[in-house]
Amino acid sequence: MRRCSRSPDEDCTLADVTLPSLGESVTEGIITQWFKKVGDLVARDEPLFEVSTDKVDSEMPSPAAGVLVEILAGEGDTVETGARVAVIDESQSVATSSPDAPAPAGTASSAPPATAAPARLVSETLSNGVVVSPVVRRILSDGGVEAASVRGSGPGGTITRRDAERAVALGPTEEIVTPLSKGRQRMGAHMSVSSQSVPHGFVVAQFDAPIFERLREQGALTRDGFAVSEEIAVTVAAVRAIGEFEYLNATFDGDVLTRHRSVNVGLVRALPDDGMLVPVVHAAAGLTVRALARRVHDLDERLTTRNLTADDLMGGTFSVMRSPSEHTVLVAPIIIQPQVAVLSLGSLQHVPVVRRHDGADAIEIGTRLSLGLSFDHRVCEPVAAAAFLERVGELVAGLDVESEL
Amino acid sequence: MANEVQQFDVVIIGGGPGGYAAALYGAAAGMNVALVERDKVGGTCLHRGCVPAKEFLETAHVRRTLEHASEFGITSGAVKVDFAVSQNRKNEIVDRLHKGLSGLLKGRKITIFEGTAQLGADQVVSVLDGADAGVVAKGTNVILAAGSVPRTLPGFEVDGTLVVTSDEFLALSALPSSAAVIGGGAIGCEFASMLADMGVKTTVLEGLPSILAGCDAEVAKVVERAFKKRGIDVRAGVTITGHKPGKKGTTVEIDGGEGVKVDMVVVSVGRRPRSEGLLGEGTGVELDERGFVVTDSYQRTANPHVFAVGDVVANSPQLAHVGFAEAIVAIKTMRDEPVIPVDYDRVPWAIYSNPEVAFCGLTEAAAKERGIDVVVKKDPFGGNSRAQIIGETDGVVKVIAEKRPDGTAGQILGVHMAGPWVTEQLGAGYFAVNWEATAEEAAALIQPHPSLSETFGETLLALAGRGLHVG
Repeated sequence: MRRCSRSPDEDCTLADVTLPSLGESVTEGIITQWFKKVGDLVARDEPLFEVSTDKVDSEMPSPAAGVLVEILAGEGDTVETGARVAVIDESQSVATSSPDAPAPAGTASSAPPATAAPARLVSETLSNGVVVSPVVRRILSDGGVEAASVRGSGPGGTITRRDAERAVALGPTEEIVTPLSKGRQRMGAHMSVSSQSVPHGFVVAQFDAPIFERLREQGALTRDGFAVSEEIAVTVAAVRAIGEFEYLNATFDGDVLTRHRSVNVGLVRALPDDGMLVPVVHAAAGLTVRALARRVHDLDERLTTRNLTADDLMGGTFSVMRSPSEHTVLVAPIIIQPQVAVLSLGSLQHVPVVRRHDGADAIEIGTRLSLGLSFDHRVCEPVAAAAFLERVGELVAGLDVESEL
Repeated sequence: MANEVQQFDVVIIGGGPGGYAAALYGAAAGMNVALVERDKVGGTCLHRGCVPAKEFLETAHVRRTLEHASEFGITSGAVKVDFAVSQNRKNEIVDRLHKGLSGLLKGRKITIFEGTAQLGADQVVSVLDGADAGVVAKGTNVILAAGSVPRTLPGFEVDGTLVVTSDEFLALSALPSSAAVIGGGAIGCEFASMLADMGVKTTVLEGLPSILAGCDAEVAKVVERAFKKRGIDVRAGVTITGHKPGKKGTTVEIDGGEGVKVDMVVVSVGRRPRSEGLLGEGTGVELDERGFVVTDSYQRTANPHVFAVGDVVANSPQLAHVGFAEAIVAIKTMRDEPVIPVDYDRVPWAIYSNPEVAFCGLTEAAAKERGIDVVVKKDPFGGNSRAQIIGETDGVVKVIAEKRPDGTAGQILGVHMAGPWVTEQLGAGYFAVNWEATAEEAAALIQPHPSLSETFGETLLALAGRGLHVG
């Protein structure tokens, strides 16, 4: 924090905004978006800019309240952690108006009333940087036509009014061409490599799992109040089972298989319109359902607030994919390289099951759990994968709800 | 003399508006920039063009205000003009702006070479004379911004006293008592207006059928009428055959007409590109038959690493602000940044005569030439309250819109203004034309009252179908 050097008469205090640490293994990030522009008021902890690493996009909260007076790193700039990226004048709080606001133009009657946020008159640009004029933008938006779908005939490919009117006359846009979001680009790159380079095997097993009925009766909450989903219960069982199947808790580079002592289990999470992330619960071996529920809750919360660090997303040795919807039977996931296996959970189904009581089979209403394992066929084979699933099913069934929660 | 070749991201030839804008904009993007200037940075515009001319027109405005002060009930002694003082004030302003610009260039770490530059092959620029003669600078890209010089007329040898161009005119320390301005374009009309307002008996001689040939005809007519009202003798459609110096002054001879006897002849018949000697061997740059540099709409010459901006460019309208815009296009293009080229059909024009002229977009005649059906509305400044308050009611606003199939006015194609402070009023019209607003869209926006800009607002309302004051 320092005194304002521009105008010594004015009482203003400047706070530097720096790029905070994004995780131990990360030294730089790309600024992808500023949510505020110079002259804007910003509250403490209000999202100020977005930074992207090869792992994650994070919104950075403002470290101070005041007026953003300078942006030192533009969108697209790569910045080292700790570097100054902006300056905030803290002496101008939300209560005071901007000192640069023009004096009211002088009609005699009165000063014009203070307006709220100024209307957005700035032309937006297409992805190729071509400006769309306000008039054209309105014509297109009234006609339900995406600017990106219109071919501009004006100078430098600008969309003229005539272009816009013609496009609207042809009807609303049916094909919208947009570049993939950064998150999807990252996901796509990863999935392409994995699906092209890894021979995937897939085995499915089904279990009668009354444990989940007991859990539901319990309220499915841990003693400290965290939700216990089937993902958490199965993950605990899988982490315990994997101790007997060491080659599944591993990474494989095509030549060398590295088995890991520590079980770092990644949990697949989808992002709305932005691909997916796999935050990792590190050192998960030995965790009870209660402990894991707390760790997962913490990761999910930071995922929602976009506060995951690159470290949260690195070091996975095995992954779990939960059921994406109520009626999904099972997803066949692509392996998250360089890991060698990913466990997939189907949704729990209420189904008639055959249970044996006093030597006689009876049909009852049971809860069916489907489990699948995608595995790297260079490292594992269906027999071993099935054996692993059998063991997980066994351990799920044997969870002691009383003591685990 | 073997000189080490200095390497730059961009080497710019010429330090006028096009050149210095390119230098500042390039340096702001982090480029390593060299600029070669044979005279002073600022170029024609700052030293021998727009800026000094406007300063003198303001001097004329002050004199006009004093002459009419008694109408407001304010009287003082007789109005006298000491033109040496006026000249001095102009020089001080130019010097200040020149210092400011020099400081700005230095602050951006732009290397300035003094001398005349020539472009050779492979984007190598040699400084031929001046303080930095012998310097050889190679640019990854080169920008030609060599500018223009006044054209002269055969039979009118410029001597700086009897016959002058804008260069000499703007350096005069005393005004003649009578003058003939040959050429009734933008520059000629500004000079004629200034001379008349300073009390000089002034004649404008124009070969075309009307003065201000590039402007909308009705707007040009309004200026011509205002000129004649102030005693300027406007003679359009005349052919000048030469001049005959007498004991005092000279007589300009007109084919088939009576000669005009004046103390001074001001030749303002356009500007030609300063491209002689600009190009050495193997540059790959193409000139047109008049010596202008040929470029594409991204300011690229036939050599893709050589750009050209400003007055030296073929078909560029020779406006400083267009030079700025072209400079930005050139820098962005060479940096592979998204860029929209300058649309010469829609640049703003400003002529600082009394009354002023400002316009943007198509004239009525140009629209018709292109086969566009138009709807036209105009509103004179005479009824504008502010115009009456300031006592300058000569002028008109004319707006041209495309005619829709139902006969109503659609997209605004041109905004043309003559009158008080219209050069400062054009902004709204410029946006309307370039944002392709329709009459209704623009008319729905409010102009403050009382203001000169209401005349534009009234014209739009009328164009949209129903005006308050204008039918």
